[in-house]
Amino acid sequence: MNLKRKITNYGIAFLIILSLNFLLPRLMPGTPLTAIYGEEVLVQMTPEFKASLIKRFALDEPLYKQFIFYIFSLFRGDLGYSYYQSGSVFQIILAHLPWTFLLVGFSLILSTIGGIILGIESGWRRGKITDKAILTGMMTLSGFPSFFMGIMLLLFFAVNLGLFPLQGARTPYADIYGIWLVLDVVKHFILPLAALVLVEVSGCYLLTRNTMIMTLRKSFILTAKAKGLPDKKVRYRHAGRNSLLPVVTRTGIKLGTAVTGALFIEIIFSYPGVGNLIYSSLLMRDYPVLQGTLLMVAIFVLAANFFVDLIYKKLDPRVQNAY
Amino acid sequence: MLKIKDLRVSYGKLKVLKGVNLEIKEGECLGVIGESGTGKTTLALSIMRLVDEDSSASLEGEIFFQEKNLMEMDEEMIRKIRWNSISIVFQNKEDALNPVHTILDQVKEPIMENGGESKKEATEKAIHLLSQVGLASRCIKAYPHQLSEGEKQRSLLAMALANDPEVLILDEPVSSLDTTSKADMITKIKRLSRGYSVLVVTHDISTVAKLTDRVAVLYGGRIVELASTPLLLSNPRHPYTRGLLRSYPNMTTTKDLQGMKGRMQPVEKGCPFYPRCTQVVDVCKRKNPELQKIGERFLACHRGGILPFLKVKNLTKYFDSFRAVDSVCLTLYEGETLGLVGESGAGKTTLAKSIMGLFHSEGEIYLEGEKVGERDKKFYKTVQMIFQNPRESLSHRLNVLEAVREPLDIYKIGSFRQRSQKVEQTLTEVELPSDEEFLDRYPHHLSGGEIQRVVIARALVLDPKLLIADEPTSFLDASIQAKIVRLLLNLQEKRGLGLLFITHDIALARKVSDRLVVMLKGKIVEEGPTPQILSSPSHPYTRNLLRVAPTLT
Ligand code: SF4
Repeated sequence: MNLKRKITNYGIAFLIILSLNFLLPRLMPGTPLTAIYGEEVLVQMTPEFKASLIKRFALDEPLYKQFIFYIFSLFRGDLGYSYYQSGSVFQIILAHLPWTFLLVGFSLILSTIGGIILGIESGWRRGKITDKAILTGMMTLSGFPSFFMGIMLLLFFAVNLGLFPLQGARTPYADIYGIWLVLDVVKHFILPLAALVLVEVSGCYLLTRNTMIMTLRKSFILTAKAKGLPDKKVRYRHAGRNSLLPVVTRTGIKLGTAVTGALFIEIIFSYPGVGNLIYSSLLMRDYPVLQGTLLMVAIFVLAANFFVDLIYKKLDPRVQNAY
Repeated sequence: MLKIKDLRVSYGKLKVLKGVNLEIKEGECLGVIGESGTGKTTLALSIMRLVDEDSSASLEGEIFFQEKNLMEMDEEMIRKIRWNSISIVFQNKEDALNPVHTILDQVKEPIMENGGESKKEATEKAIHLLSQVGLASRCIKAYPHQLSEGEKQRSLLAMALANDPEVLILDEPVSSLDTTSKADMITKIKRLSRGYSVLVVTHDISTVAKLTDRVAVLYGGRIVELASTPLLLSNPRHPYTRGLLRSYPNMTTTKDLQGMKGRMQPVEKGCPFYPRCTQVVDVCKRKNPELQKIGERFLACHRGGILPFLKVKNLTKYFDSFRAVDSVCLTLYEGETLGLVGESGAGKTTLAKSIMGLFHSEGEIYLEGEKVGERDKKFYKTVQMIFQNPRESLSHRLNVLEAVREPLDIYKIGSFRQRSQKVEQTLTEVELPSDEEFLDRYPHHLSGGEIQRVVIARALVLDPKLLIADEPTSFLDASIQAKIVRLLLNLQEKRGLGLLFITHDIALARKVSDRLVVMLKGKIVEEGPTPQILSSPSHPYTRNLLRVAPTLT
């Protein structure tokens, strides 16, 4: 499949998502405004404010005009207005996004790399003591739900030992800059990161180990050994490289849900990321924020898929012909 | 260059190689033929110490490469030997090439690993090798899945040559290819492997014929025969080698394809081939025969290979002063068909009848190595004859049952019931019905084909090892003749029946005989393997016979 076709496909998917996001509140019973903001809020609103909202969403215009209006405002970065947080939804999400990126990004990178390396080494030594030890450890880890892991770490390292702060992404109201700020952020971020990595790494590890074991049975491994290559090259360049494909797919999928992936951990550590935002908006039924976040998530999933497609081609030359 | 001594390999309880001795001399190309499951790939991998990779494998014995024992080397030393000194062209099956690296990278890899060469030099060398094996330049930077089978196999060859090894092992180098690419590949291998010491491991006999100087036959984890390639292929002496050649379709053999009885099965003790061997004796089941030098070949068989079953020495027969048979010498081996060809009056039937003792003659006859004097019961139980005109050889007063049973009655073999059973069994074997109605029929109720089958059954009921068939089909229509001939060959395959097939029809003889004897005026003028006599007849009479033989054009 050529790039053009692919981009078109992604474009179509994107449009569908947009349209759904636009249509859903408008298809709900009652006026769109009720659907968007909920009954209670509407009751509290002043008529002037209501009128300004109607104007803002062009709700008195026909549907197609509303749609065009909607698209335009989207491109201006206007995702709506949160009554609860009295601010633009876009701004609110933007404030939370970096924290999530920081947390999820690092945890994804660390858990993937760690999982791959452990998986390769473990699969290579299949049945040996090292493999058994790693495998048992990972199996145990994979049994922990993320919130449980978070709570454990929190209780032990933060509450009992007091090594790390209990919550948040940085010390509130602290007047620190530069390197101290970075250190402060790191300190806050280590525990949730550790919890996430610990939970995530086992999946990646198990997958890599499995594929590794399958790959090691392939004839080209024998070829590589016959060529007199050192073990390390056989293990990584030949076996490892071929075991990477399913892991990449998996990581790609994870990447798509990155924004929401850390939901529980963010809540437990009161980490101000998107997960936490979703949680609090759910509690308050802050629909505009929820809707905006969902749109963001959808876009991320699409982007991640696209990205995986691209990488996949690089990793596995057969894919080009496989379509 | 490479010496393998008493190599034993087993995977868990399964013994794959049971003491293989082989030597590859410098610059020679040695073939190892074996069917799947005989351990030939294990042999190839053992030399590179690659069987160790299988954790259940255990390896014993010694492999000397340039006086150094590979079996005593540690992992690091063996790694240096691999590819630099001994490399292997794997069979191109599944993923012998890594799917995610380009051909160029994979060929380059061992060169770079070896050190010495810069990246640029390595690339140049790899490209040079790839173009030498005839890979189109568009393929060089391609991935394996973009290449055809032939191109992949050629890349594997180029890869094996990357580090200029001393020993090159080829594991089924052409069996994944179609006939045209196969021929092409063989030429390439032949050209490029010059100067290397080569081991070709394959089940494909024609590959061996085209590439190798010497060839070893592997069966059940042991080498059963080893000889120079032309000798082994034209004159196999181990029963298995002969069976293998007989079952291999090719343009040289003219005899119909034949199989071997039974199938390959693991043998705990004794000769690996004994369950399928038609000349097995007691000791075969007890002791494994060692590979021994016999003449110009090595052979592992307690009986010295295929037995000379019948030996005729200087047999002469006078009718008054007319010499009908003139000092004839011939040898018929166990389980083979010896075609005796000649025009009528050449003395063929006289020779046959003299062997059977129906005529008194001069000269000596040996059966299974023992000199035959008076033809006694034992002789007739071993050698039987069927005659030209089947109707004359059956008494019209006996029905089918009686006719076939008669020999058993004469020799008083078994109880009455056992005899009847034997008759039924033999009739089934010659593909005749054995119901009451048929058993009750008299010869004049039978067709020509049926009568000949009854005659054959009568001859076989004593379980002879040799059947002298004098023009057994000349009274039959062609379609029936074909069936009778097929029947005889099937019996040969199953029982190891030797056939002295007498005919005037060289076209027929070529389809049934392993070897041919041409007789003219009481003398044998030519003898040899059938394909050889047909392709290069030495006697003018034989040439004439071939010239007038029936053709369809
Ligand atoms: S005669 Fe005996 S030793 Fe020779 S091949 Fe047959 S079974 Fe083996």
